[in-house]
Amino acid sequence: MKRFSILAILAGLVFLVSCDPEVIPVDTGGDGTSKVLGTLEIEFRVPSSILPPYRVLRADLSVAKDAESLYKGKFLQMANVYNSQMTYTFNLAPGTYYYQAGIICIAQGDSCTAASFPGGTYGMKWAIGTAEVKQDKTTHVIPQFTK
Amino acid sequence: MTINKRTTWHRLLFAVLMAGLVSSCTTEIDINSENQNVPIVYCVLNSADSFQYVRLQKTYLVDSKAGETPPDQDSVYFSGEIVVNIERLSEGQVVETHRFYPTTEIPKDSGFFPSEKNILYRAKMTIVPNSVYRLYIYLGSKEKVLYSEATTLSALKVLNPLPLKQRKISLYDGTNYICQWEPVTNAGIYQVAVRFKYKETAGGVTKTKFIDWPQALASQNAGSDYLSSSISGARFMHILDENLAVEAGVVRQVIGLDFYIVSGSIEMSYYIQSTSPTEGALMEKPVYNNITNGLGLFATESRVNIPDLILSPVTIDSIAYGQYTKNLGFLDHNNDRDSTNSY
Repeated sequence: MKRFSILAILAGLVFLVSCDPEVIPVDTGGDGTSKVLGTLEIEFRVPSSILPPYRVLRADLSVAKDAESLYKGKFLQMANVYNSQMTYTFNLAPGTYYYQAGIICIAQGDSCTAASFPGGTYGMKWAIGTAEVKQDKTTHVIPQFTK
Repeated sequence: MTINKRTTWHRLLFAVLMAGLVSSCTTEIDINSENQNVPIVYCVLNSADSFQYVRLQKTYLVDSKAGETPPDQDSVYFSGEIVVNIERLSEGQVVETHRFYPTTEIPKDSGFFPSEKNILYRAKMTIVPNSVYRLYIYLGSKEKVLYSEATTLSALKVLNPLPLKQRKISLYDGTNYICQWEPVTNAGIYQVAVRFKYKETAGGVTKTKFIDWPQALASQNAGSDYLSSSISGARFMHILDENLAVEAGVVRQVIGLDFYIVSGSIEMSYYIQSTSPTEGALMEKPVYNNITNGLGLFATESRVNIPDLILSPVTIDSIAYGQYTKNLGFLDHNNDRDSTNSY
């Protein structure tokens, strides 16, 4: 009985040692460095207008490190915007960021001009603002468009 | 005495029968029976095209001699009278008939089978959505009529991407693109394909090139308001890395993307399922066939092309300076190669 117990322990040890704990690394496409991030959450509301639904669409939502980068189009991140999605999130290192949100008018005729979109059809309006991103926190902003 | 005679007679009969049985046994087995020249038909009615095509060939028996003598034109195409018709039905009545005529306008890839003349049958016909179409083929040489029916799809309405140049597409590590469309009546399967277009300059010569990136097949879910396919930004960078060679002196410039969204009928869905790799214990599946008196597929498809979409500056800069693609010679969104711009 004693011999059997020793044999069982040895067999168990061999079994444990033979289990390979190596994990095959999966390439996630990142640079391998872990960053402490905060979240910038932008509630991208399309303002109401005199136009029928789906004539004014979300067109752009970009984040830059400073005002100059925003002006020059050197963005840190650009979201893919959709008609069906209102809230967009960006994971960023803590700090102050500049964002821009753009809406576009696709109505025909002079409707876009009447709704004060510069240039008429395919004219765009922009809302620009700043947001403070804090570590492990979510900062929520709502871009404000002028009438 | 009588009994002995009868026994001897029985023994003799048994010996003769056994001898006959043994002599009739042979170790040579003819695996292939004679080629039956079974007609094979493929036709996918495309609602986005004004011309439709039917491919008609016959089965070819591959035996040991085939390697020595490759098949000739006659061994894959039928001769004699061939009539190919497609009819549109409305409430059970034929309202349109289109006769298909032979054409060799589409070349065939070279290979084992003859490729000098790729005989297809073509007709100019516009496909009416949500209609029943009937395929009739008469083969004079075999005194045979082939027959099939399929229902066309409704128009494919794409929700994303929209053909808006102002709405740029971001595809980089951590940012995916969601392609969305409304379910199509009578469809069973969908596929999105992305074409990445770029300019390549080498030795002072600039050429426009592209990489096609088909996405995984998507199925119709009952009750869903829209269908979607997620295009991975991280995978996109790997696709560029895998498909483009690092060459000294080559400068590349991003042009943009085209999206292709294709919906296939339920017949096409069954056919793709039957020809896809097998999983599990069942190693061989019968290939789906909806051609009466023949083999093949009569199906319908609807497709939409959203061309000339623009990639976001962040995506273009990620291609230029990203860890997987930085050696491919792409210019950034300012048409520059500034090494201080690293991502």
